[in-house]
Amino acid sequence: MTETVVRTHDLTKSYGRSRGIIGVDLEVRQGEVFGFLGPNGAGKTTTIRLLLDLIRPTSGRAEVFGLDAHRDGLAIRGRVGYLPGELRLYGSLSGKELFSYFGHLRTRPDGADAARIAETLDLDITREVRTLSHGNRQKVGLVQALMGRPELVILDEPTQGLDPFVQQSFYRLLEEVRADGRTVFMSSHVLPEIERTCDRVGIVREGRLLAVESVSDLKTRALRRLELRFGVPVPQDAFAAVPGIRDLTVDGVVVGCSVVGSVDALFKAAVAFELLDVSTTEPTLEEIFLAYYGEASDAAA
Amino acid sequence: MPLRSVFWKCLHDQWRAMLGWSVFAALVPGMYVALYPSFGAAGSMQQFMDQLPEAYRALFASTGLDISTAEGYLNIELFSFVGPLLLLAVGVALGASATAGEEEGGTADLLLANPIRRWRVVLEKAAAMVLWTLVVACAIWVGVVAAAIGFGVELPFDRIAAALVDCALLGIAFGGVALLVGVVVAKRMAAFALAFIVAVVAYFVNALAPLVEGMKDLRVLSPFYWYIGNDPLRNGLEPAHVLALVGLAVVCIALAAIAWERRDIHG
Repeated sequence: MTETVVRTHDLTKSYGRSRGIIGVDLEVRQGEVFGFLGPNGAGKTTTIRLLLDLIRPTSGRAEVFGLDAHRDGLAIRGRVGYLPGELRLYGSLSGKELFSYFGHLRTRPDGADAARIAETLDLDITREVRTLSHGNRQKVGLVQALMGRPELVILDEPTQGLDPFVQQSFYRLLEEVRADGRTVFMSSHVLPEIERTCDRVGIVREGRLLAVESVSDLKTRALRRLELRFGVPVPQDAFAAVPGIRDLTVDGVVVGCSVVGSVDALFKAAVAFELLDVSTTEPTLEEIFLAYYGEASDAAA
Repeated sequence: MPLRSVFWKCLHDQWRAMLGWSVFAALVPGMYVALYPSFGAAGSMQQFMDQLPEAYRALFASTGLDISTAEGYLNIELFSFVGPLLLLAVGVALGASATAGEEEGGTADLLLANPIRRWRVVLEKAAAMVLWTLVVACAIWVGVVAAAIGFGVELPFDRIAAALVDCALLGIAFGGVALLVGVVVAKRMAAFALAFIVAVVAYFVNALAPLVEGMKDLRVLSPFYWYIGNDPLRNGLEPAHVLALVGLAVVCIALAAIAWERRDIHG
C-alpha cells in the first residue's frame, strides 16, 4: 500500500482580493515525483508555504506524513528539504558554512552528503554566496534542500536560473531521490520539465487545482501546434475531418493547426499533397489550459 | 565562529561590528576621563553649568550638576547621555534587525523551513543582543578604568560598574522594544527608527517631566528614570529599578516571540 505523504483538505488562503488559493484538495503519494504546474501567481508558492507552516490557512487543513502542518510543524520540517521559489541566502556565508549551519539546525550535520551533491552540480562550496552567480546560488539552494536525504523534498521552481547542462545534473539527483523511494513535490511553470521529471502532475490556475493527471496520460493527449507547407495550394476542407484537429487555418500552401494526441491522421491526410516542410511549436501553458480545461478555467476566472 | 545554532550565527555575523563598536565605546569615555584633569578641575566649567537654565540642565543630569569631582563630571559626561546612547545603539540595532532582518532579507523562509520553532529563533537572537550590549558595557568600563589609572583620576570603579550594568539594562530594554517592533512591522529601518523615537521620548519625559507642574509623576514611567533616577553612580543599583528594566525587556521579547509564532512569515 502506498502511503500519502502530502494531503490537503479544502485548503484555502485568501490575501485580500487576488492571489491565494481556494479549496485545494491535493494528495501526494510516497515515492512519487509530483509536479505542481501553473503560471506564475497561480498559487503554487502559497500552497508550498502552507505545507511548511510559514503561513497559515484561512480555512481547510494541510497534512504532511499524516501530521498536522501547524501543530506538528517541527516534526514535519525535520523530515523535509525545501528550496524556496525566490531563493535568498546569507550573502556572507559560503556554501559550506550554510550547509553546516542548517545541518546543525536539523540536528544531522552531514557535510559529506552536502559535499557530494555539490560536486554533482559542479558547485564551489568554499566561495561566499554573495560572489556567486544566480545559477550557482540556485545550486546552493538545491544542495541544502537535498542534503541529509530528507523523506520529502519540496522544490519551488527548482530549475530557474540553471543552465541546461546543470539541469541534467539536477534531473539525475531527482532520479536518486526517486530510487530511494523518497518523495518529491516540485512546482514549475514549464510543461516539458514536468513531463520529463514527474510521475503525476497537479495543474493549478488562479488559485484552484484544475486537475491531477498522470504524466503518461498527459503525454498521450499532448497538444502540438503544427505548420505544414505544401508545394501546391490545398483545398480548404482537406484537413477538416482529421480527428483531434483544432484552430485549423488554410492559407494557400500553408496550413496551420493544433492537434491533440496522435498526429498520425493528420500526416496520412497530408501525403495526398506535396508536403515540403513541417514545423511544430511548444504550446504555451495558457494554450494548454484552454485546450484541456477550457470550461474549468472559465469557471475559475 | 562555529555555526551551531541561531545564537552562534548571530555572533558570527555580528562580532566584527561589535568589536569595532566596543573599541569606539572604550575610547570615548576614556577620552572624557583623560580630559578631566585639564578641564573639569579648572572650575570655570562649574560656573558655566550653574548659569544654565534649569530645563537645559535637566536634560543633562537628573541629580544636580556637580563637576567639581571626577565622579560628578563622569555622571554628566558619560552616564547622562553618551553612555546610554552607545548602549542603546547596540540594543536597538540588533533588536531591530533580529527577525525583521531575516524577513526583509528574504531568508526567513529558508531558516524557518528547518526544524526550529520561531519563538526559539526570537530568544536566541535576543540572547545575542543581550550579550553584545553587556560586552560593549564592559568595554566602556575598561576604557574608563584604563584612562583613570593612566591619567591619575580617582574614580570608584565598582560603582561605575554598577552604573554601567544599569545602563546596559537600559539598552537591552530598548533592544527588546526594537525586537518587538521588528516583529510587528517586519522592516529593519522602521523598527530601528520607531524604537529610537520611543527612547528619545522616554529620555525627555525623564528629564523634563519634573519641571512641569502636574507631570512630575509621569517621570516614573520612563525607563530612563529606572536607569538613572536613583543615581546609580552614587548609590549603586536600586533593585526595583533594575527589575523594571529587566521586566520591560522580558515582556517585549516574550511578546515578540508569541507574535512571531502567530503570524504569517513575509516571503
